[in-house]
Amino acid sequence: MFTKYIFFFLSTVALYSAIMVLLSRKPIHSVLYLTLTFFAIAGHYILLNAQFLAVVHVIVYAGAIMVLFLFTVMLLNLNKEEVSPKPVWIKIVAIIAGCLLMIVLIGIFRGYDIAIEKDPALTQIGLVKNLGQVLYKQYLLPFELASILFLTAMVGAVLLGKKEQI
Amino acid sequence: MSTIISLSVLGVLILAEGLLGKKAWHLPTILIGLLVSLALTLSGWNLNLHYYNEMMIVDNSSVAFSSILIFTTFLIFMFAGHYYRGVQRPLDDIYAILIFALVGSVMMTSFGNLIMLFLGIETLSIALYVLAGSHKEAITSNEATLKYFLMGSFLSGFLLFGIALLYGASGSLNMDEISAYTVREAAHLSPMFKAGLFLLIIGLAFKIAIVPFHFWAPDVYEGTPTLLTAFMATVVKVASIVALFRLFSHCFPAIRETWETTLWILAVLTILVGNLTGLYQPNLKRMLAYSSISHSGYMMLAVLAFSARSADALLLYAAAYSVATVTAFGILILVRGAKGNDLFTSFEGLGRKNPVEAVCLTIALLSLTGIPPLAGFMAKYYLFATALEKGYLWLVILAVLGSAISVGYYFKPIISMYLKEGEGIKLEAGFAYKTHIVFLTVLTILLGLLPAFLINLL
Repeated sequence: MFTKYIFFFLSTVALYSAIMVLLSRKPIHSVLYLTLTFFAIAGHYILLNAQFLAVVHVIVYAGAIMVLFLFTVMLLNLNKEEVSPKPVWIKIVAIIAGCLLMIVLIGIFRGYDIAIEKDPALTQIGLVKNLGQVLYKQYLLPFELASILFLTAMVGAVLLGKKEQI
Repeated sequence: MSTIISLSVLGVLILAEGLLGKKAWHLPTILIGLLVSLALTLSGWNLNLHYYNEMMIVDNSSVAFSSILIFTTFLIFMFAGHYYRGVQRPLDDIYAILIFALVGSVMMTSFGNLIMLFLGIETLSIALYVLAGSHKEAITSNEATLKYFLMGSFLSGFLLFGIALLYGASGSLNMDEISAYTVREAAHLSPMFKAGLFLLIIGLAFKIAIVPFHFWAPDVYEGTPTLLTAFMATVVKVASIVALFRLFSHCFPAIRETWETTLWILAVLTILVGNLTGLYQPNLKRMLAYSSISHSGYMMLAVLAFSARSADALLLYAAAYSVATVTAFGILILVRGAKGNDLFTSFEGLGRKNPVEAVCLTIALLSLTGIPPLAGFMAKYYLFATALEKGYLWLVILAVLGSAISVGYYFKPIISMYLKEGEGIKLEAGFAYKTHIVFLTVLTILLGLLPAFLINLL
């Protein structure tokens, strides 16, 4: 019962701050609201008994990536109110398309029970030990191949960042 | 598996050579390495191996398509020496990223699990975002990379969300288990599964550049350095369409009626819009971008009419399309090098000054149009035949109409080369470059005369 109230509280915070990311005029405020959203979602992960994911989420997203965002916004001096140059009809089309997607998504989740384990307290998959078992046994190959992805990204970052003539 | 390992080792080897400063070793290492991994790939023929809890399934179709991708990359690297001849800086990073992109595309042809599909697509895409912007001084290259990166990462989100919904509905990411789920639940498929399926289609359609998710393609193709555009138009296109084919033929045959209409409409739109817009392009590079869009529409026919024969037809089509497109890009590199642009007027008078190159470009474009007896005609013939077998009469009629429209733009450079008078600068192609282009042209003709070599494989 108690977790139910926490769930609704976290959901309200997540939704409110996510909407404010879009609505706030100053980029800095958007970034800070985004941090709040990430913390609320980390709370959801804890409710689902996935402590490891929650901690990683806070460290990586709310920590590292947000700091990066803030630095970028401050260094580029983007903290000005900007009027969006988009024409009105694009905004209307975007709103209609977004609302249609929302209706579809609400429609599919309503009254549908999910095939995977229902009671989050019963699953132990989110604990570090079990996660490690799955990651290094069942998902060993994708885990290793992700290193190629990261190597590509690193080489690419160096390529784009270097000051050389081609 | 040996393919992925050998290619990854090759990529790291290139980076190590760069570290040692051995610039001259790059291309020989790459060409030998690609041939070695091609041989390793072909050694997996008929073995049908499953790796690591069905994460990768190397069956005959994945061997065949991986071989085509590796061979196409080999053909493109043959142009690299000429393309980067005046460049002083070391090129190990660009070459290594190209090889890693190839690893991603091989993953996309042999995945057995949706995680592997996503990982392959991301490896390929992130490599391409960087490659598109690798000409740092050119503003068009910057535009290309930014456009591609912003849209690509947004659409990757759709793809991932689709995969998550499929997992939520079926409880598994494994292709066999998803397929078993669709057979079991075919009568009352959950809405969540359907939504996941359509988000997945949207994500993949963006990567393939299917209309109406194609708007990035012409700008990105135009801004990207030409050699890398050739890679985009062939390897990336073929890998994405093979991933779509593999996914639909393994996972969703039982729920055909759910997605059939959607793919039908997408295919028709792609063929018609791609070909009609192609008519209005001012230069060869943009024209080839629209040509690649419309060809992905034809290749969608194989996905719609899947059977063992349509896999064969797709294989032949992928081979014919890749070889002809690489040839066209090879000449495009020469013309851009000599003239600085690739407007159709730049091709005027090429027929008299450079007869070999002009003939090769003509044959490549005729093959892309689908004129008998070239490879493109045989490929289209088999593809349309398999679609007709499944009863897609209207689709084939529209596809033939699209091919007829495509004559209008494929003949523009041909007319410029032969019928218009122009100063026609001499193209500075070395003997090796010319030999390679002639080799590609011979390959196009041979594929057209002896399609049986590829058509009864799978």
